Amino acid sequence: MPAALDSPSDEALLARYRNGDGASFEALYARHRQGLYRFLVSLSNKAELAEEIFQDTWLSLIRSTTQPQGRASFRTWLFQIARNRLIDHWRKHSVHNPLHDSYDEQLHVQPDDTSSPEQQLSLSRDQARLDAALQALPEDQREVFLLRLHGDLELPQIAALTGAPLETVKSRLRYAQQKLHRLLAEEVPA
Amino acid sequence: MNDRKHTSDADDQMLIEHFRQHASGEPPASLDAFILAAAQREAPPPTPSLWQRWLQACQRPRWQMAFATVAGVALMVGLVLRSPVLHDELAAPASMEFSADQQESAAVAPPAMPAPAPITRMAPQGELARAPASPMQSLAEKPAAKMSKSAPAALPSLEQGLLEILRLREAGESKAADEKLLALHKRFPEEDLPARLEALRKR
Repeated sequence: MPAALDSPSDEALLARYRNGDGASFEALYARHRQGLYRFLVSLSNKAELAEEIFQDTWLSLIRSTTQPQGRASFRTWLFQIARNRLIDHWRKHSVHNPLHDSYDEQLHVQPDDTSSPEQQLSLSRDQARLDAALQALPEDQREVFLLRLHGDLELPQIAALTGAPLETVKSRLRYAQQKLHRLLAEEVPA
Repeated sequence: MNDRKHTSDADDQMLIEHFRQHASGEPPASLDAFILAAAQREAPPPTPSLWQRWLQACQRPRWQMAFATVAGVALMVGLVLRSPVLHDELAAPASMEFSADQQESAAVAPPAMPAPAPITRMAPQGELARAPASPMQSLAEKPAAKMSKSAPAALPSLEQGLLEILRLREAGESKAADEKLLALHKRFPEEDLPARLEALRKR
């Protein structure tokens, strides 16, 4: 979520915290705790692992003396730290990293026949079904969709974060949304 | 085609909003507390302002000595620059080159030059006036002596003038003596020249 105009930017809050202002960190944490946590829970699909990575990410930020580099925003930087921590965890525990799977969207694409507004209104609101739909997505598509959903990142930021070409990120997001439409569409009673 | 793309973007945004509305899950309160406590504990000490850093520096003995030294030097320089300087020293620095003999001859020279030493001009005439009444007067006479040395024709003192007149009269040059007396009268109009001549002649 973009910060209000009269409130300091994430980068300014981080700089203040680095200069000893503890209250600035509380404001920064309050802004991003929910989005980062939900991103990690949805991506790892394990609450305990998500909490561990969440804690590591924030402690890493607290102990680091660096700032977001170049044009990267704080939000991109934060989610990149979390993503790298999760990948490190998978490597450390010899878990296959699903984010490195190459997925040919063209082979799995199905015609999207749920694009009419009437049908959009009929998307399922069942939490379990929403979660199941997310987990049904291929990992790389899910990652892009979750970064868009919980990180509120723009596509170029997602491309920079994942190291994927922008066009690839665009297509992943498009296929993810098509599949979610298909999985969540409900029959509208006539 | 643009309409179709626009519709697709709107649908996608709607899908994102749909998920946001129904998303749930919060980090546990204990995790929040742990992270915030760690942030407070490991927060770097506040950077003092420039004024605070200056005050801290002043409280260290090393810097106290340095500041005191600088302040002392500044005070001394200020005092030296503000102390009064004798006008004569500035006006005639060459007087320092005077030898003892030169000073003696200068003291004998008549205080005829009025300009550099007003004290000399105001002093009583005669032999007593030649002796410096104070060190200041002595200093004031130095430039006069130097200038009289370099002057082409120094005027004689009253005493010398009167002696010269007596000598001329004794030599029978009464006309020259009268001219001298007239000249002396112009220079010393308040002096009773005939009476002084008479006293000098008797002596």
